[in-house]
Amino acid sequence: MTGRFWMISRGRGGVVIVMLAMLILFAGAAIAQTAEERQVDFGKEIYKSKATCLFCHRWDGNGDQGYGGIALSLRKTQLTHDQLIETIRCGRPGTGMPYHDQFAYTDKRCYDVTRADLGDKAPPQAVSFLAPREVQAVVAFLEAKIKGRGPATLEECVYFWGAETKECDTYKN
Amino acid sequence: MITRDGSRRAGNGLTRTIAVLLLTAAAVLPATAADMTYDRAVNVDKEPGNWLLHHKDYAAHRFSPLDQINALNVRDLHLAFVVGLGGFESGGRYAFGNLEGTPIVEDGMMYVTDGWGRVYKIDVTSGTQGKIVWKMDPGVDRAWAGDVACCGINNRGVALWKDKVISVTLDGRLIAMKKDTGEPVWDRQIADPAVGETLTLAPLVIRDTAIVGASGAEYGVRGWIDATDLNTGKQTWRTYTIPAKGEPGSETWKDGRNAASHGGGSAWETGTYDPATDTMYWGTGNPGPDYDAEYRPGDNLWTDSVLAMDPNTGKVKWAFQYTPNDPFDYDEISEHPLVDAIINGQPRKLVIHAGRNGYFYEFDRITGQFVNGKQYADNNNWTPGLDPETGKPANYDPKKDVQPYSATAGRTRAKPVGLVCTAHVGAKNWEPSSYNPDLHLLYVGSIEGCDEITTKEQPDFVADGGTVKPREQFTGGGSRYMEKPVGSLKAIDVLTGDVVAKLAQQYPNYAGTLATGGGLVFTGAIDGRFSAHDAKTLQELWSFNAGTGINAPPISYSVNGKQYVAVLVGSRQSPAIFGMHPELKNTATASMLFVFGL
Repeated sequence: MTGRFWMISRGRGGVVIVMLAMLILFAGAAIAQTAEERQVDFGKEIYKSKATCLFCHRWDGNGDQGYGGIALSLRKTQLTHDQLIETIRCGRPGTGMPYHDQFAYTDKRCYDVTRADLGDKAPPQAVSFLAPREVQAVVAFLEAKIKGRGPATLEECVYFWGAETKECDTYKN
Repeated sequence: MITRDGSRRAGNGLTRTIAVLLLTAAAVLPATAADMTYDRAVNVDKEPGNWLLHHKDYAAHRFSPLDQINALNVRDLHLAFVVGLGGFESGGRYAFGNLEGTPIVEDGMMYVTDGWGRVYKIDVTSGTQGKIVWKMDPGVDRAWAGDVACCGINNRGVALWKDKVISVTLDGRLIAMKKDTGEPVWDRQIADPAVGETLTLAPLVIRDTAIVGASGAEYGVRGWIDATDLNTGKQTWRTYTIPAKGEPGSETWKDGRNAASHGGGSAWETGTYDPATDTMYWGTGNPGPDYDAEYRPGDNLWTDSVLAMDPNTGKVKWAFQYTPNDPFDYDEISEHPLVDAIINGQPRKLVIHAGRNGYFYEFDRITGQFVNGKQYADNNNWTPGLDPETGKPANYDPKKDVQPYSATAGRTRAKPVGLVCTAHVGAKNWEPSSYNPDLHLLYVGSIEGCDEITTKEQPDFVADGGTVKPREQFTGGGSRYMEKPVGSLKAIDVLTGDVVAKLAQQYPNYAGTLATGGGLVFTGAIDGRFSAHDAKTLQELWSFNAGTGINAPPISYSVNGKQYVAVLVGSRQSPAIFGMHPELKNTATASMLFVFGL
């Protein structure tokens, strides 16, 4: 708001203008996310549509079975922040958890071993590689929305999938 | 106008106007395509330049008699044109749609689908360009359907009926649209994603009925095959592949609880049909839970089976189960070609099948009698072979409720991990085979390799007192690759059941094959290689690299006297497959139609 508006606002008309200005300010604040919230949303989109972590871990992160293998529950996981980062970047040798760092196992950046060291225990590569900031964002999403939570709720489902799909109907009873 | 003496003078204005109007009309109004009829469907040989049915003919030969492109000139085959399609959107568990469809071609008009069920009508008459005439977008609920699609966002193609095009959607609808404009006329909700059912197959149209089968055996569905009256858009019958309590076969579900209600037995690839006996042949999918056979003691009829059925009533005439109480996810949904051949000096009317379980089978298609069965997978460790009398796995014990099968591949909850060869995806998954009737050879695009399956005790659905909600996976364990799967192209001699030619391939084959009268076999690979092979030796005679994965079956057609080969190109295979081939890590997804000509 420029000084001129304040200078113009005098008397009763002035109150209306101030209220309008405050409304605009607060509305703007509600729309603007914090950097943390943006990062969580970014991580959600990667989890959902880019790396499709949900293929194995399910949309609610509670793990699954079938063709993605027996993927662990991220809601129940005890992994620390750094361990989550490492597991996503490097996958888990001897399991179906894929690596998302495109240079994993080309040198010793992952668990201090190369692909040659691991042989057929090398984890598979992911459907999409992730840059470090993307891995950070996925972990931010997991820590904010998944890790430590109980059974998925309707609110969580709508946050993840949006409201325009029947995907969340099963949570509506 | 030019007068008879050759001099020019101004023509009669009315004549000229009429001539102009007629010419304009001819240019603007498309020639009306003939209706698709049952008579045309049972006589596709009379239209050798067309590909009117999903599998080319009702017998699923996928054999084009065209021979303008042949073994002598295929080295000159080149790209005629490409067309960009849609289907990139993410949804459910997937980053993008897949392309597994077989095109239909009628008189220079092609009909293809993308994974999200859009139908495209493409004018290919020019031979130098494919023009999209119309596009019908069914507006699939992508999250809802995509979250219960086990194996990609798939739609394997359309069917033609009268002046309509008939398609399915992943979210479970059957749609009839006008052939000339693409405008939907009606749709019918058949599969219910609320309970984990989806539709991915090309409908089978017989007379005025469209027949489809459910997908969802990883999600605890009870499988079915369902018929719609195309005149009314209403159901005429549904046959469940798992019998209800008290019905014949229900005694093969011995859990004493409710396993059969979630027993799987999906039917997700288009069946074949014999007009002579008015019988169709449908394959059925794996029992659920896939990997926990102790959940469902008994043979689990009619999972992993072939059903000979009456298309008017859905009644089953005869049935054969390939893998009883299956713990390996060996769906047998893929096509069951009909072949007439002389076996042991006797003319036989056969139904044949290159099984997911690594064996090739032949039956008398009238009686269901087992005629022949031989291994065609390179490596099978789950059974030593087939019983030559019954066609059942040699280590199948009818006195046992839970089949142990082999020590290495067989698993229990107590001993849950097994190395399974051929891998659970099978020696042949959905990718269709093709048949050369002159050489009596069946061409199979095959997958070679083993995987590790881990059995995990499957909890019950909530409705049965357990913890599993509808739309959650019901697989009783999981699978993963330990070694990279590879592929092969194989020719099986129908007269003997032997593999008489084999070409090892770098990648598992998920495209299937096309056989042609030019003595060729075409197939595609996940690294983009599209190749033509000698029909006798399978030697590669030509290839073209499309630069992104090919996971769809090729076809051949002709228009204006010229032969073309067409295939849908794009989309990567599942993470499980791709993850084992790091050299393919930068393969992008695409969504294209590629058409080749001389």
